[in-house]
Amino acid sequence: MKLTTILSSAVAALVAGSALAAPTQEDVQRSFYPYKNGVPSFNGLSEGMVINQGNVAQFESILDPVMFDHISKGWTQMPVTATTSFDLHPNYVKATADGLGKVSLGDEVGQINGWVAGRPFVEEPSKDDPRAGEKLAWNYKYGYNWGDNAAIYPFYWKYRDMDSGNIERTLKFNFHFLNFKGRVNQDPKPELIPGDDKYRAIYVQVLEPFDVKNTQLLIQRSIDDRKADNSYLYLGFQRRVRRLATEQVTDAFLGSQLMIEDFEGYNGRVSDMNWTYLGTQDVMLPFFNHDEVQLDPETHQDDDGYQVVAMGDKGGCYPQVNWQLRKAYVLESSPIMEGHPISKRVHYIDAQTFTIPRTNIYDAAGKLWKTFIIGQANPERHLPVNKGSGVSIDDAVSMINVQQMKCTTAQFKGQVDKELNPESLFTVQNMRVKGR
Amino acid sequence: MRSKSKFLALAATVVATSFGANSLPTIADDTEWAGFVEQVTHTRKEIGLTKFRTGAQLEGLKFVGDVGPFSNVSVGGTVRVTYDGVYKLNEDTYGDKAGGKAFVNSLGLANLGAPTTIEANSPGIGPAGGLAVGNFAVINILGPRVEEIVGAPAGAVSGLLLNNTFVDSYPNNPNEGMITLGEHLHPHGAGVAFGVPVRPCDTDSRGCLNDYFDFDGNELAMPELYSDRADWLRELYVDATLLLEGDDEINFRLGRQQVIWGRTDLFRVLDIINPVDFSRHNIYDELEDIRIPMWMLKTDFRFGPTGAFDDLNAQIVWNFDEFRPNNLGQCGSPYVILDAGCFLRGMKNLWDNGGTVANFAPFDPADPSKGLLATNFGPETIGIRKIHMPEWSLDNTQLGLKVEGVYGDLGWSVNAMTYRSQLPSLRAGGVPVVNPFTGGEAQTWDHLIAFDVYFPRVNMVGGSLDYYSQELDTVIRVEAAYSQGEEFANTLEPELYSENDVFRFVIGLDKNVFIRSINPTRAFLLSGQLFGQQIQDHVTQKATLGTVGMPDWEQNFIATFLIKGWWLSDRLSPELIMAHDFKAGATVIAPKIDWLINDNWQLIFGANIKTGGGDEKFDDCRLCNPFGPFTTSIPGLPEHGAAGLISGSAGLTGFEPLGRFRSGPLGMAEKEDEVQLTIRYRF
Repeated sequence: MKLTTILSSAVAALVAGSALAAPTQEDVQRSFYPYKNGVPSFNGLSEGMVINQGNVAQFESILDPVMFDHISKGWTQMPVTATTSFDLHPNYVKATADGLGKVSLGDEVGQINGWVAGRPFVEEPSKDDPRAGEKLAWNYKYGYNWGDNAAIYPFYWKYRDMDSGNIERTLKFNFHFLNFKGRVNQDPKPELIPGDDKYRAIYVQVLEPFDVKNTQLLIQRSIDDRKADNSYLYLGFQRRVRRLATEQVTDAFLGSQLMIEDFEGYNGRVSDMNWTYLGTQDVMLPFFNHDEVQLDPETHQDDDGYQVVAMGDKGGCYPQVNWQLRKAYVLESSPIMEGHPISKRVHYIDAQTFTIPRTNIYDAAGKLWKTFIIGQANPERHLPVNKGSGVSIDDAVSMINVQQMKCTTAQFKGQVDKELNPESLFTVQNMRVKGR
Repeated sequence: MRSKSKFLALAATVVATSFGANSLPTIADDTEWAGFVEQVTHTRKEIGLTKFRTGAQLEGLKFVGDVGPFSNVSVGGTVRVTYDGVYKLNEDTYGDKAGGKAFVNSLGLANLGAPTTIEANSPGIGPAGGLAVGNFAVINILGPRVEEIVGAPAGAVSGLLLNNTFVDSYPNNPNEGMITLGEHLHPHGAGVAFGVPVRPCDTDSRGCLNDYFDFDGNELAMPELYSDRADWLRELYVDATLLLEGDDEINFRLGRQQVIWGRTDLFRVLDIINPVDFSRHNIYDELEDIRIPMWMLKTDFRFGPTGAFDDLNAQIVWNFDEFRPNNLGQCGSPYVILDAGCFLRGMKNLWDNGGTVANFAPFDPADPSKGLLATNFGPETIGIRKIHMPEWSLDNTQLGLKVEGVYGDLGWSVNAMTYRSQLPSLRAGGVPVVNPFTGGEAQTWDHLIAFDVYFPRVNMVGGSLDYYSQELDTVIRVEAAYSQGEEFANTLEPELYSENDVFRFVIGLDKNVFIRSINPTRAFLLSGQLFGQQIQDHVTQKATLGTVGMPDWEQNFIATFLIKGWWLSDRLSPELIMAHDFKAGATVIAPKIDWLINDNWQLIFGANIKTGGGDEKFDDCRLCNPFGPFTTSIPGLPEHGAAGLISGSAGLTGFEPLGRFRSGPLGMAEKEDEVQLTIRYRF
């Protein structure tokens, strides 16, 4: 490369960098309350209507291409409700405000400086910013996805054949999440264990069926994003803990359509991907009130009277939930690792909550492989324990493999309850103790 | 087997007391049940049916809640019952009609042009009585030297001495319901062998070892229901947590349970707490199904992140159950690991009833080249006299300590255990025996193959590590153990065993690899392990006729490899397991397909193919000269001194009985190729 080229590139980068305005408290407010001054609208779209095969054409521009395709084929339809604000917990917002201007990206992907808690980057992403996608990824990673802790307790996964509608397999889990750092509500804050390397941990316990009963999974994620997760698997029939190799997190988890890396929309490291911000879009996303959607009393009933969200439409692969027109950031991630089973994901990140309710996944050849729906429920219209949690509740999930015409649906009882998620649950030793 | 264990009652009482009326739970939660029924069918090449087992297993878990100072109290249990129809459906091989006549070689008979294979335990023939069997007379075992030894004039002794204890017939040990030791593997050629009863012990009690291998037909077919140790109750335990200051806690599990240490598959290095039932399917069932649960108290002290450690825990395991050894499989049942059960039963029968031993006494003591003759031993001369099964006492309980933690990316453990060997040790030299050549008072003899069986105390220290290498994208597992107190056969020792320290280790590598041409969406699991064993102070030496000392290899390695794939949402899972014993040259290949038809039905089809390793020979102590000079040869062997009065092995070898320790579990099952089908309904 010629010296002049290097210099011009450096100058361009400097100009681009300086063009990015320092974030302000107004950015904080706009980031967390995007609908304060009004909600998005689209010509012909109204509360109470259903987008279906008959009218989908006019809504193509507010649908991601895969949902548009599925509705066009008559595989599903989309009940529409008004756009509502899903306010995250004020302590998370405060932590964001407290950290304003203190957070910066490091020199390399996966490096971040100055973050303590809250949303790291509140400024609107710009295509002029070459690292805008990476910042969105950090906002997701350090998001308030399940708050400081949560349990999906229980959690039903059904493996379905989309053509026949047959349920080929049903698994029952408990999932638990705990933030070790970036804590804003649960003492001790902001770190559970000062000096500890862990950022977050996920603990999974399989309850049914018999052949995988007592399987447990523990993922411990380091605060150092460039470090691989420590993942452990307890197999009931072996009665011992096995450490997992990374490639197992890009593998179909227990034969489902989900990889461990797919959990919550993306469950990997920022440094595992190249991130590209594709734009901001008003798009239909599955945000709803649990008490307003169709429920499924057959799959789960308990003393609380809680029922999980029903699945339906083609093959029973679609959560029977309402959809809203919401502001979303379209983010593409492509794996750095050679041999990764996918070529890219296209995420539709909800701008207010930084959850990932929609993701389209492309195989190694670049062909659409799977599409992921994570229905988000308003905590104020959910279980009593979730009220006031400020957590957008993951409430109904479907990962649809359009190549094999299979799907894995997941039905939740999500509970933001620290009593269900003690620190001791997230240790290797716990797997041995819980194991048979 | 023994009468019902008093300990079972005690332990059950302990568990039950935990839920006495004075400690009613404050919180009632729910109860979980799960289980399966299954039909397992195995067929073996040239044998036919080897397993036709119908079984059911029920697992339950009752959450209780908080009880007194304890929290998270629960009760877990597993009940299993099975019936193996193979003892009826293939009763000619494994049931009441199993076995037939045993034949042993008497190669010296070739000098007479007589058949060299004869029926075991057949009448001794000859004018002077039956030292040897066959259609001729043996003048005496040492020819003219007998007179010299006993101080009689030349020609005064014809045949054996009058008080000898060799026999002419075996009214209590007829040649029926027998096999010849090792016949399923190979002809014994010029080696030793003897008849072994194979029918269930209620049909034929010969050779049955009290409290060890004395299973009757019902116990073999329905091992859980007819067990004297209530084996139908595989597990029953109470879990409870005692919360301490801060986040520390103590987890208790009290009851009948399995406690698993270590990080290895297939073979055990640290996983030594529970004995194993190899009679179910040799080493090829999941350890979960073949560990013999014991009544134990397991206490886990959880300290959480402590100092430099991300996690730190300590565990104390007290196995207060009455001792149980591994079940090696009773001779006459389909799975007899190392064929040990047959050797033990045959030896016990030899002691109790006497019997014919192949190729034992020389045809012509002065000319070893003329071969050996099968020899009719009387009772209480050679074999196994009795078994010393440890009784319950505080001293006989077993204790383990483990400290386990995580340091950075490294998982580690340090383990220590004092326990009773789960394998039998045969000790000679302490069994009083009458000199079969001269009669007289019984006394102990060095190098005499008359044994008592012991289960010595063993102390083990070890540790394990696991680490994920990001560079290799591979999980590395290491496990090592050093034990003191294990006993091994050793023909150099007057007691025919020695106590040796043993170092064992395993290195395992696990990697998930996509082979996209076969399965584009699901990675294959590749797992390789290398097991090593090093016996300390191992001894062998060259004797006149061959190597003597310890038959176990001083150093040996076994490699295992697993490749497993998944299709159809993990409902179809083929796998291939291979293992190779380097010293024995034995290999096993076990392909299997597991098909989860739906949430309830499961079908497993597999095979088990072995090759090599079943032909190892070692010193068999035929020329150990315990009754010198009658049992030496002419000309004299240097091992026995000029007068032939010193005992010690001259190194005559054969497949039996010690070649099995060189062939190992893979080689000794060389002829046990099988196909296996399991149909299971899960609920």
